[in-house]
Amino acid sequence: MKEYVLLMISAALVNNVILARFLGLCSFMGVTTRIDTAVGMGMATTFVITVSSMADWAVEAALLQPYGLGYLRTVTFILIIAAAVQFTEMIVRKVSPPLFQMLGIYLPLITTNCAVLGVALLLVEGRMNFIGATLFAFASSIGYSLVMVIFAGLRERLALADTPRLFAGPPIGFIVASLLALAFMGFSGMSTS
Amino acid sequence: MDEPLHSTTDFSAPAMVEGFAHVVAVEGAMAWLEPEQSSSCSGCASASACGSKGIGTTASRLEARRFQLVNDIGLRVGERVVIGIRENALLKASITAYVIPLATLLIAGALAQWAAGSDRVTMVAMLAGLALGLWLARLGAGRLMVRGDLAPRFLRRAGAGETCSLE
Repeated sequence: MKEYVLLMISAALVNNVILARFLGLCSFMGVTTRIDTAVGMGMATTFVITVSSMADWAVEAALLQPYGLGYLRTVTFILIIAAAVQFTEMIVRKVSPPLFQMLGIYLPLITTNCAVLGVALLLVEGRMNFIGATLFAFASSIGYSLVMVIFAGLRERLALADTPRLFAGPPIGFIVASLLALAFMGFSGMSTS
Repeated sequence: MDEPLHSTTDFSAPAMVEGFAHVVAVEGAMAWLEPEQSSSCSGCASASACGSKGIGTTASRLEARRFQLVNDIGLRVGERVVIGIRENALLKASITAYVIPLATLLIAGALAQWAAGSDRVTMVAMLAGLALGLWLARLGAGRLMVRGDLAPRFLRRAGAGETCSLE
């Protein structure tokens, strides 16, 4: 039990997908102008990363490893992620058409989010069991969503701040992102080893 | 009283998420609207150069997102309007669609791992948990729809060349 808790804290905070591994930076800068879009994107990404990582683990364990097909891993995982996004879109549309109208915009963007593929490849490196891999993927995506929401909140405030003209918009956003990354480096002091 | 404007901004006020839509059909007292193609950056009409929109058939994607509004303000086909949903509606929708299935999936997986300790059993339990969660999400979405929380509202007619404000 303790090892799973540590695994999740490590994946969400210490080795944060965005600020420590530098994955998903496109959506980090692109979707964080408003908190509501950041929350929508974060939740959709959390769902897709968790579901696609489960499928990735199963395919890796049942197909790629036993038959020595490791060289097909990246292509296979990309295919699985695209299928998981389509599956999620289909399910949301089926579960509730109004929800799909509201949230459907975020889903196709996730296919091209490198954080999804990055987490899947990290799972293989980690050689975890199924529940460990799922929890790792879930915690990584929670870390991703957390940073997205924090950064969106900061940018909403920055939009109202009196910023020098040359720094307004993305430049001050990048500076704030670097400060946020420095703050998250503080979590590396939580190592239990 | 002489404080700068930004320090008096009320962040707790209920906000609306705004978007643009075109009227594509009018049927009796109802108008069919199609949301304007938007992108990851909420750039709406100004996002013509955004590369993130090219996935899937755009036309079919927009058609799937058509919705109805009560046409009590005399909307005509081709008009461009600003519509809005309450900010917390998006949060409720996200929680219903994603958090409920994920929660049941993880709880089912944790229970199966604790009881059986086998990867296969955990996998099957998680799939069952996901199915249960999707069924619960469907119930939750139905309740939200009955309460009208998911319905977009007409805010105003869009001015010529009006786009979302991007900071």
